[in-house]
Amino acid sequence: MKHQFILSLFLFIWSNSVMTQEKYCPYSVSGKVLDIVTKEPIANVTIKIQDTEKYTLTDKVGNFLIDDLCSNNNTLIISCLGYSGSTSHHHHENGSLPHLYLTQKVTGLDEVTVQAQKIKEKGTETISQVTLGKNEITGDATQSLAAALSGLQGVTFTSAGTNIQLPVIHGLSGNRILVLNNGLKHGFQNWGTDHAPEIDITSANSITVIKGASSVRFGPEALGGVIIVESNSLRLNTPLYINLGTGFQTNGGGINTNLEIVKGSNKWGYFLNGNFNKIGDRKAPDYSLTNTGKEEKSFSFGVLRHLKNWDFKIYYSFVDQNLALLRSSIAHSGDAFVRALNSDAPIIIDSFSYDIDAPNQTIQHHLAKAEINWYSNKGKLSLRGGMQLNKRDEFDVRRNSKKPIIDLDLITYDYQLEWRHPNWSRLDGLFGIQYFSQDNDNNPGTDTTPFIPNYNISRYSAFGTERLKFGKNTVEAGVRIDFEFDDVRGRKANQNIFRDDYSFANLTASFGYSRQLSENTSFRTNLGTAWRTPNMAELFSFGQHGFKTTFGLLRFTDNNGVLSTDDILPLDKSVVEPEKGYKFINEFKTYRNGNFHNLTVYSHYIENYIFDRPIGVFGTIRGPTPAFIFDQANALFLGADYSWQKELDKNISGILGFSYLWSKNIIENVPLINQPPISTSLEIQWDQGKVWGFKTSKWIIRYSYTFRQLQAPRTVLPQSLIDGSKIITIDSEIFDFMNAPRDYFLLNLSWNFKWKNLSGSIAAQNLLNSRYRDYLNEMRYFADDLGRNLLFTLNYSFKGKNNK
Amino acid sequence: MKIHRFRNFRLMALLFGTILVTSCSKDDDVPEEENELEVITDVTLVFTNTADANDVVEATAQDPDGIGIQELVILNEIDLDAGKTYTLTFEIFNNLETPGEDIGDEILEEANEHQFFFGFSDDAFTNPAGNGNIDTASDPISYNDKDENGNPVGLSTTWTTAVTALSGGTFTVRLKHQPDVKTSTSGANDGETDFNLLFSLNIQ
Repeated sequence: MKHQFILSLFLFIWSNSVMTQEKYCPYSVSGKVLDIVTKEPIANVTIKIQDTEKYTLTDKVGNFLIDDLCSNNNTLIISCLGYSGSTSHHHHENGSLPHLYLTQKVTGLDEVTVQAQKIKEKGTETISQVTLGKNEITGDATQSLAAALSGLQGVTFTSAGTNIQLPVIHGLSGNRILVLNNGLKHGFQNWGTDHAPEIDITSANSITVIKGASSVRFGPEALGGVIIVESNSLRLNTPLYINLGTGFQTNGGGINTNLEIVKGSNKWGYFLNGNFNKIGDRKAPDYSLTNTGKEEKSFSFGVLRHLKNWDFKIYYSFVDQNLALLRSSIAHSGDAFVRALNSDAPIIIDSFSYDIDAPNQTIQHHLAKAEINWYSNKGKLSLRGGMQLNKRDEFDVRRNSKKPIIDLDLITYDYQLEWRHPNWSRLDGLFGIQYFSQDNDNNPGTDTTPFIPNYNISRYSAFGTERLKFGKNTVEAGVRIDFEFDDVRGRKANQNIFRDDYSFANLTASFGYSRQLSENTSFRTNLGTAWRTPNMAELFSFGQHGFKTTFGLLRFTDNNGVLSTDDILPLDKSVVEPEKGYKFINEFKTYRNGNFHNLTVYSHYIENYIFDRPIGVFGTIRGPTPAFIFDQANALFLGADYSWQKELDKNISGILGFSYLWSKNIIENVPLINQPPISTSLEIQWDQGKVWGFKTSKWIIRYSYTFRQLQAPRTVLPQSLIDGSKIITIDSEIFDFMNAPRDYFLLNLSWNFKWKNLSGSIAAQNLLNSRYRDYLNEMRYFADDLGRNLLFTLNYSFKGKNNK
Repeated sequence: MKIHRFRNFRLMALLFGTILVTSCSKDDDVPEEENELEVITDVTLVFTNTADANDVVEATAQDPDGIGIQELVILNEIDLDAGKTYTLTFEIFNNLETPGEDIGDEILEEANEHQFFFGFSDDAFTNPAGNGNIDTASDPISYNDKDENGNPVGLSTTWTTAVTALSGGTFTVRLKHQPDVKTSTSGANDGETDFNLLFSLNIQ
């Protein structure tokens, strides 16, 4: 058998700073180099610190140590006999003992790639999680945050068309997913399927998905999981780096361009980032999707000031979006809705245009953050303060008005103080307190009863997590308590004022265990609970938006089967309860002989799970109109994510993925609605390495198959409700207006290359131009999903030679 | 060392000062009263005998809570006499407001964006004959009014009932809003529906 050239090195590096010394150069780096296949230590590997004269060789057992370093941010140049040199940025924050795991993958004799595996976020070590790096994110610079993550097992998105996509983790979405935007909970109108987080992914350096229920450290309510978006991490001692990217896509005639500038000296670090996207009407295989374009502008910058034992960071980002929604998704009456459902093609199809007309949304989101970190032998202290302003206007197709139907300003303040204590014997952990507030105001002039009331939320929180390591075992526990006070002011349909105020105490707790079963195999398990306060839309939604009318939990009353929306129940007098989720998640990872298996199995029980569902078509003067209400039930979710990566050859690897979710309303023993169907994917990667004058050339072919959702509720056609052949009451079994769409295959292909300072890709999405509708896309009622899309991207990057 | 500290605190103050000043301002703003533009609660069909202005037949449809979930109620059936000619006009109101708002005026102002369409039991009328223009826009309806482009509106129409009695027939009236859509050939499925009401029709 041919000798495998794949030599992988496992590198454990830890660093130590000697704080008591008054020397100018108190830092050190030490580590161990191992062959990942044989597990043998590798001796005589050269480790050099870039831009210094300092270097060392690993000893017989692979260990190395370099001390008296003058910076806490070092670039290691690792070279091993017979292999070309490689560099690895090593940035550590003193006062703690971070592990930086480096997996070296050597493809061919003269190519060494170092992939830094991000250290797990504190307090979540025992929860299944995965991080996407810059390259994986920006393959398609125009895609949404949710779409970028949807390749991960167990993660998908729910959407209202291509422009508005919300991440779904293990069947949960909306504000059950905590989106952490540069350390702050992204403060936006987080309700419904038509509001996605306004985050420009080209500004992200990494995106981490935590699939557990118990993100003790990051915030309450994250029953589904946490998505951590981080921009450039602001490094010291980094040479000037400029990246200019541009792209074109055929479907929608989309163009995008982005620029990033990064530099770090020994006291300062900064980055600047800007992005522009414009896309016109997209195309399904058979027709144009009229009014589906978007325009997006974003800008961000960050500055780091480093003093001895102190780091000061500021960060600002601005995102401006104008997102069109499919014109044919607006049906102003039951008859029009029936026609739209029964029609194979959308009712309104115009020729291609970049114009964005109603229905559409315009959003401006500002985020400003200041952060101070203080390092000492008493641990690390972080103080973070943030302010966000989210301005949102939504336009429906309206009878006599070009005015927005929703016009909201949401201001969010967030202060966090966190102390990561030094090791207490073997205990490692952190404690923190947080104050979070939101102020939502309706701007006058919508000529309609506010869909969402004005409100103020104040939340006071405290949390702590501890981790204990013994041998190959890690035990982790965390608890968080939140006190939330809500004050609500709104209008009834007759314009009378209503008020409500209430408070909730929410508990989040997590207990986990992980064990390194062998060098190649690890197991982690976590039991967590998270509670969630019903959000404003779930409680107070009122009225017509898009093709339907929606009524929140407090907005309708049931008088012996007759629904009324005239009165508003005070929360205290209603039966509404907060959601309480209990999630048990287990992850098993093993690597052997070129096979990497990752299996995650979970069960999630949610008490008082809140969801919206069709309740019927109700007579209005315009004709029967589809109506949705919010409802609560106890729900059970059982699922598994599996991936198997196999090295087929030294240059070719295959990844098989599978996600399965079973869910049920266990009170009434009926299915839930809008849950992700089973999906599988097969990806083949062919890394050609140096070929045809390119530095790298890599092909990826990805085949995905999504099953029909077999657990969809029964179908009750709106025409049978209109003609009275079916009668639905509030006690009737859950239903949907349309059958779940059929299963579908999608084929994607991409080629990535690097040539001198240029890198780029050519990619085809839905190469076969398959007709399909996605069950989690609300537009499935009206039109097919996107047809073939060819994307061309080109990046020019410039890297300065030194860091002066 | 002291100098360092001082500088740190100054930086800290700078970073957080601005944010702290602007936060913690709890307000008690209530959304301003909005004037519901798009709500119609009451539509009354007024059939007036062309030969006798005192012979008036009215039929009303009412949606008491507008966008609320309450069902539309058809308060009357349309009971016409056989072999007579009537002029049909409308009273269209939003009664959620006090006093009620007359939407008919609004439709008149935007006549070139609106058209009424009708559907009824086959041959209920001798004029217009047939079953109305909801299914086929070119079918006959006796419109008495035109917009500035010469296209029919339908705030006033003329109807001559058949001589044969009819019991339990239907009469549908649909008002369409067709901004930039209304032409001489646009039909009952073009544009947005302002109202669509189905009445029982009796002729005796």
